[in-house]
Amino acid sequence: MARLKSVRAPTTASLPNNLRIPSSTPSLAKTLGKLSRQALLELALTWLDDRNIASFPPYLQPDETNGDEDTLPYPAAETVEEVRQAYEGLQDRKGGKREVLERILEGDWRHGISLRQLAMADLRYMDDHPASLRWTALELSRIDARKNATEKVTPDDWSGNVPRTQASTFVKALQHEIAPLVKAHYHLARSSTLPLTLLRIFIIDSPYQSPRQTPEVFADSSRVVYVAFPDSCPFVYTSITATTGSKPAGPTTSSVATDPRSLQRLVRDAIPKALSRPQERYTLKPTSLAAKNLPTLLALRGPGRSTAANGAFSIFADSAIEGSPLDPRPANTVSAEEHVRSGKTMIEDKENEISAEQSIESSTKRKSADSNPSIMSPTSKKRRLAVDSRFGTAGGSLAPAPLDRLDVRLLDQPVPDDEEDYGSSSTLPAVSLTFTGSDVIGGIRKLAELGIVDPERMPSWMTGEEGVSMAVVRGGNRLRKDV
Amino acid sequence: MNQSARYPPGSPDPEEEEQDSAIASIRAEIQKLQRRKRTFTSSLLSATSVQKLLRKPPAALTSMTDDLSPLARAAGKHSDSNHYRIAFGATAFLFKDPSPTTNDNLLGVRLDICARNGRFAKPYYVLLRRERVRGKDEKRLRVHRHTIPTFISIAKLENAFLPFPGSKVQRGEESEDEDAEALKPWKGHGARKQDLRGFVRELRRELAAWHMRTDAVEFLRERLGLDEGSQSAPAERLSPVTDTGVVSLAPTAVEARYVRLEWEDGRVGRFKLSNSGLVERAVVIGDSGRDKQTEDTMTGGGGKVEGLLDRLRERGPSTV
Repeated sequence: MARLKSVRAPTTASLPNNLRIPSSTPSLAKTLGKLSRQALLELALTWLDDRNIASFPPYLQPDETNGDEDTLPYPAAETVEEVRQAYEGLQDRKGGKREVLERILEGDWRHGISLRQLAMADLRYMDDHPASLRWTALELSRIDARKNATEKVTPDDWSGNVPRTQASTFVKALQHEIAPLVKAHYHLARSSTLPLTLLRIFIIDSPYQSPRQTPEVFADSSRVVYVAFPDSCPFVYTSITATTGSKPAGPTTSSVATDPRSLQRLVRDAIPKALSRPQERYTLKPTSLAAKNLPTLLALRGPGRSTAANGAFSIFADSAIEGSPLDPRPANTVSAEEHVRSGKTMIEDKENEISAEQSIESSTKRKSADSNPSIMSPTSKKRRLAVDSRFGTAGGSLAPAPLDRLDVRLLDQPVPDDEEDYGSSSTLPAVSLTFTGSDVIGGIRKLAELGIVDPERMPSWMTGEEGVSMAVVRGGNRLRKDV
Repeated sequence: MNQSARYPPGSPDPEEEEQDSAIASIRAEIQKLQRRKRTFTSSLLSATSVQKLLRKPPAALTSMTDDLSPLARAAGKHSDSNHYRIAFGATAFLFKDPSPTTNDNLLGVRLDICARNGRFAKPYYVLLRRERVRGKDEKRLRVHRHTIPTFISIAKLENAFLPFPGSKVQRGEESEDEDAEALKPWKGHGARKQDLRGFVRELRRELAAWHMRTDAVEFLRERLGLDEGSQSAPAERLSPVTDTGVVSLAPTAVEARYVRLEWEDGRVGRFKLSNSGLVERAVVIGDSGRDKQTEDTMTGGGGKVEGLLDRLRERGPSTV
């Protein structure tokens, strides 16, 4: 599989899908080793699928056999079917993941793992571990360049700023934007678990088709950028950490910085440009939300109902207080769980629903056993009501959208300002709070339920009402424009 | 010996487990029946005949009105508000923001939309806040929170119907408007009145159009026999149309504005659905380029999306 090294010319094409990384690369084994045995087996069978076999051919027995082939631990198979059977056999019996990994790297793909295979493995890992990366939500907003923007919007154009583009067109445009600066490999896939389209971009700073870098570089996770496009909403999630705080790296000696960070910045800048069209330009704006969990981002910056109604208002997003207008029962006699569920299934009194109900019923029963209103003291009952009114369904078991980190800066003056010109803003102490944990809002809710936080007096940012992970607060209200 | 090996001491007795599951299923049954009873009670209490009787009690029963059960009263009230919700689709209510720092009374608007299967979608809510206009004595409404899907731009609607002077909506033209306002104060935003009715009307129309589009796509899929687990009962399911050659039909996104089609001969197509249920534009591409005839068939004949499959069938499987 050695390429001809004699012809090497810089091009603007993307890195080819079939560029193979030598199987002996240690970091490759490490990357694939992160996957579970089941995932590895499924991945191998996907590669061997009839539709994909042309892209990922396994190593088969060459026609003229050399003598030393038999001494290898994994003798090469003769047909694809044989390879397929081997993996199906592995799937049936139990064992470690080591044997699967070794079989892939030393046996059937001993000639190398292609970039596309690596990308598929990475995405598979992400499907299995949705909290493996930190994602930042960005908003796509349209730049209206027209000078005399007329007040009249066309009467029936109330659709949002969701640019319509085809994935392949977008990748081509993105490639066009960043090609002169970096070389990249693109892999576009639909998430199997979430309503998202994921784009994995691997970047390298070389203009050559078959770069001369060490193979180690191909499995370097800092050179990989993920961009996720949720369905039907003007938001984009990236795995690039916000670079707003860092300065552009000083006076660089070379005209283009080549460290992974600046390469990532190049990609980030290219995304809105690639989505833009003539007369329709877009820009990416920060939305003060970063979280480790993709479902959280989908709940807080997604196409659904909960994007602009959180905290106390989550009862509206989940329609947990009122039912359908055809429901004859007065709203206050029906539990919130039932409202949420009836809206979800839209079928009531159907036999096939019982099993689903049972599980929810039993889970709520277990919860209500310790919080039965009849045995609760009046103060704790009152507190519970207050907590419910402040948090709605947020932080509870009904609508989990865990935030792993919440940064808040308080701009309030510590003492009421009776001395007018006590000091300018320079002497004003800035109080910054950082909450971290697996579910920050859920934790604050717990504290409120235990009576440690007063649910009636706490400001609304503590209930997750703003749906952000970074906020600047004055007087208990979040300032819209971040300072 | 063997027994204990199969069931280690930590795990529960299988018999016990069986009984537990039996108890659980009986509990669920009881709960279901209780719920049923509650539904029937409230249906009965809110029935027109009962309510009429309660409102205009016959002379012999006038003494009863005073100690009428609160349950009956609540049922009457609830059925009244349900009637409004069904008939008008948009109802207003008052909501008190529980936050101690704002402590506002919010104006809530609830929008109910009926889907094709005769059921109502989850109600949509918009909560509006009264805010004082900077430098003026009047208060104006602003959208505070809402549950509208993001592909319907609340910001655009708000800008058009509920103008708020000096608001920094995320739109580039805003700053220019402010400049214009400064130059011509008599023509600026401040002069425009807020139109809550118009806002709600357009919003509801957009939501209803979205539901109708998804319903139309669902209807087409059902007719093609693509939707196995659809909600309608098998008896009322429509006879599938088979000879159109279409093997796949699905909306491209949640918004259901564009629909993607695939034919068995490898052609792919896409059409745009308008808010009024018409096929606005259609593109069909096969191996040898655009298939203009099929495109014309799709948009022609009035363009109603419901008749799309019939039009395609009449044309028959074409040869590109």
